[in-house]
Amino acid sequence: MSEPARVLHARLHLLDRQVVRESDDRLLCKVDDLEVRPGDRPYVTAILSGPPALGPRLGGLPGWLMTETDRLFRDEERPGPYRIEMSMVTEIGSAVRVAGRRQDLALERWLTGNVVGRIPGAAGVEEQDAPDRALRVRERWEDRPDTPRIGGLIGRTVRGPAGEVAGNVADVCLVQDGPLLAEVHQAFRTAGLLIARRRAGRLFGYERGPGLWRPSLLGALVRRMHGEIRYAEWDQIESLDDGEVRLGVAWDRLRSTADL
Amino acid sequence: MKRLVAVTLGILTAFGGFVDIGDLVANAVVGSRFGMSLAWVVVVGIIGICVFAEMSGRIAAVSQRPVFDLVRERMGPRAGLVNLGASFFINVLTLAAEIGGAALALELATGLDYLLWVPPVALVAWLVMWRVKFDTMERVFGLAGLALVVFIVALWRLGPDWGELTTQLTRPPQDEGVPTYLYYAIALLGGAMTPYEVFFFSSGGVEEKWTRRDLVTARANVFVGFPLGGVLSLTIAACAATVFMPVEAEPDSLGQMVLPVAEGLGKAGLGVVILGVFAATFGATLETALSSGYSLSQYFGWQWGKYVAPGRAARFHVTVLASVIVATALILTTIDPIKVTEYSLVFSAAALPLTYLPVLMIANDPDYMGAKVNGRFSNALGSFYMVLLLVVALAAIPLMLATKAGQ
Amino acid sequence: MIPSVRLAPPALLAALLLSACVSPAWDDDDYALKAGKTAESAVSAVRFARSTVAYRDRMTGPYAEVVLTEAARDLSSVNDQFGGVQPPSDASDRIRDEVLRLTEKAESEVEDLLIQVRRDGVKDPAAAVRELDRLASELSDFAEKHR
Repeated sequence: MSEPARVLHARLHLLDRQVVRESDDRLLCKVDDLEVRPGDRPYVTAILSGPPALGPRLGGLPGWLMTETDRLFRDEERPGPYRIEMSMVTEIGSAVRVAGRRQDLALERWLTGNVVGRIPGAAGVEEQDAPDRALRVRERWEDRPDTPRIGGLIGRTVRGPAGEVAGNVADVCLVQDGPLLAEVHQAFRTAGLLIARRRAGRLFGYERGPGLWRPSLLGALVRRMHGEIRYAEWDQIESLDDGEVRLGVAWDRLRSTADL
Repeated sequence: MKRLVAVTLGILTAFGGFVDIGDLVANAVVGSRFGMSLAWVVVVGIIGICVFAEMSGRIAAVSQRPVFDLVRERMGPRAGLVNLGASFFINVLTLAAEIGGAALALELATGLDYLLWVPPVALVAWLVMWRVKFDTMERVFGLAGLALVVFIVALWRLGPDWGELTTQLTRPPQDEGVPTYLYYAIALLGGAMTPYEVFFFSSGGVEEKWTRRDLVTARANVFVGFPLGGVLSLTIAACAATVFMPVEAEPDSLGQMVLPVAEGLGKAGLGVVILGVFAATFGATLETALSSGYSLSQYFGWQWGKYVAPGRAARFHVTVLASVIVATALILTTIDPIKVTEYSLVFSAAALPLTYLPVLMIANDPDYMGAKVNGRFSNALGSFYMVLLLVVALAAIPLMLATKAGQ
Repeated sequence: MIPSVRLAPPALLAALLLSACVSPAWDDDDYALKAGKTAESAVSAVRFARSTVAYRDRMTGPYAEVVLTEAARDLSSVNDQFGGVQPPSDASDRIRDEVLRLTEKAESEVEDLLIQVRRDGVKDPAAAVRELDRLASELSDFAEKHR
């Protein structure tokens, strides 16, 4: 284990990617959000998906509509998102592959049985996965609306030690050196924040090294729009209260992304 | 040998499948009003669709990720949702136009009112999507669309004044205003570069399980098939310029648009061209309906595609069915399918950058592409088109209002 | 912001479909312009009718009928639309009479031809083509004067 731990940018490499079931390449869902276990060294515990995960990230009216519509059709008191433990993840590439026999989301199961299954000639309906008992149990107790999510960090205003606005959170850096998950592989620890001086918009991957600034016109435009981008280590952050990020050190003392 | 057959077949399919109701209408109208003076826009559009279809095909072959996956992944959920809303709206509008076009072709063949043909066309289209295998479906209608080559024969038989057509290339007619000229330029560009074409092309690549080894096929389809389709578009415009422009006739129905073929080739030619129009619009009906399913499913991460049994992609098939029903209802309101086409072309043009921007970004990302990232040439062209498409997108709707949709 | 962006296309479409209808004329010039446009649309329809009659032997029956029906329908809607615009003054009445005389003549001519085609073919195609040519060029002259 001498090679350095893998570094990912949560928004760039994980969020909004397709989740694929390892056993049969079935497309399951998107990485709509990531659940974080708070603490001294917070780390990512699960992939969250479905309307209760996507709605808050969308925000505004569409987000509210999505969450509320989902709530209407669920019989739990406080429905939570569809949840996949990080320990099940086998590969993070252009898609996120997960092991195990994850069942489809409720809407797919309902449509298969009640709409598509009733149209003549619908092959494949009978192959629907048998309900997974373990999962059912988990769906009931895994309802923790207060656990922090990566999506909730992105876009926050960042303030310096004196309370002056320093920028916005553009992305969250994850390093794979957290605690062992299910004794298989190490968790992705939230190692720091990428902070853009001017805008909260996406960096589109142009925060990475100059070798990736192509096409040059687009790269230059995106970097110009965001102003300077700096990196704050997790221990340089003083607090995450009030929907903001308060830094413990001044902007000038943060590392520039050029040294990353 | 087998490989050669496959590549040829792919090229012919791309060729025959290129022209749809949008290209047909835009080129016939433009040819009759502006002669060949907007031919350059068709060329610009063809090069553009080649550049971006090649990128999206390459991404699909290397990473198995279709275009709307990339839109969501690179643009994020919010911008992705805006794009989804716009693309889905345009898709259903285009789908309605294609269903209408196929029904109009049947009206020309039988004399029965097209509204009677709309429900059966929609039903058969849905059955094909429900039951027929992807590659069979694509091949049959792509190859049947080759019947439109009859436009080339007709042009030659009409014996146009080639010198006059060549002069028109650089000389727009004096009696049309500049805004109208630009408005139709945008409509033509929208016709050539419609977003559903890349949704369908890249998702089709995943459906057919392309790998790096299929890059040759993908590129041959794009670089040979699409330009041949573009030649067909130009021929339609040239036919209109020859027959309609001198007598100030402006076609506003499908029947009138195929009149040059009847004049040039008689009944046999007319039969072939009606078959070609039917195949092209029916094929495009399938492509647009599937594309609406592709885009919605790929945004939300649902299992999509015809490579799994219908019962294994319930949300996808329900979306496809719902869009077919909505589009059919739209056409049954007796709204003119040709008008619907004209509007959908301009809306398409306005939505182009939303779709092509993430494609250009991902084609440069080595995380996805490894060594197959864009070269300098692709990037230069891609950047040029991004600027162009941005200008077009900003100008499209204002021009539409200013010219009262080109009147 | 997002909802308004998503609502814009349908709203625009509705606005455009409405704007395609003929609006009232503000003054004599505007009225004359509208008359010119009307004549222009009529020319187009008459030309298509002429082509159908002239090349009738190169077309299948249903096709010829469909194209001729469209020409007749176009002419009738052109007449209805322009006929419904209020001429702003006496001077405009003259223009109105002139253009409606031509377009109504064209409409009845094409409708006659349509009846013949549906029955057992045009009796005297050569004469019909000549008549349509004459109408088209008169309409075209009128459009030229009022653009």
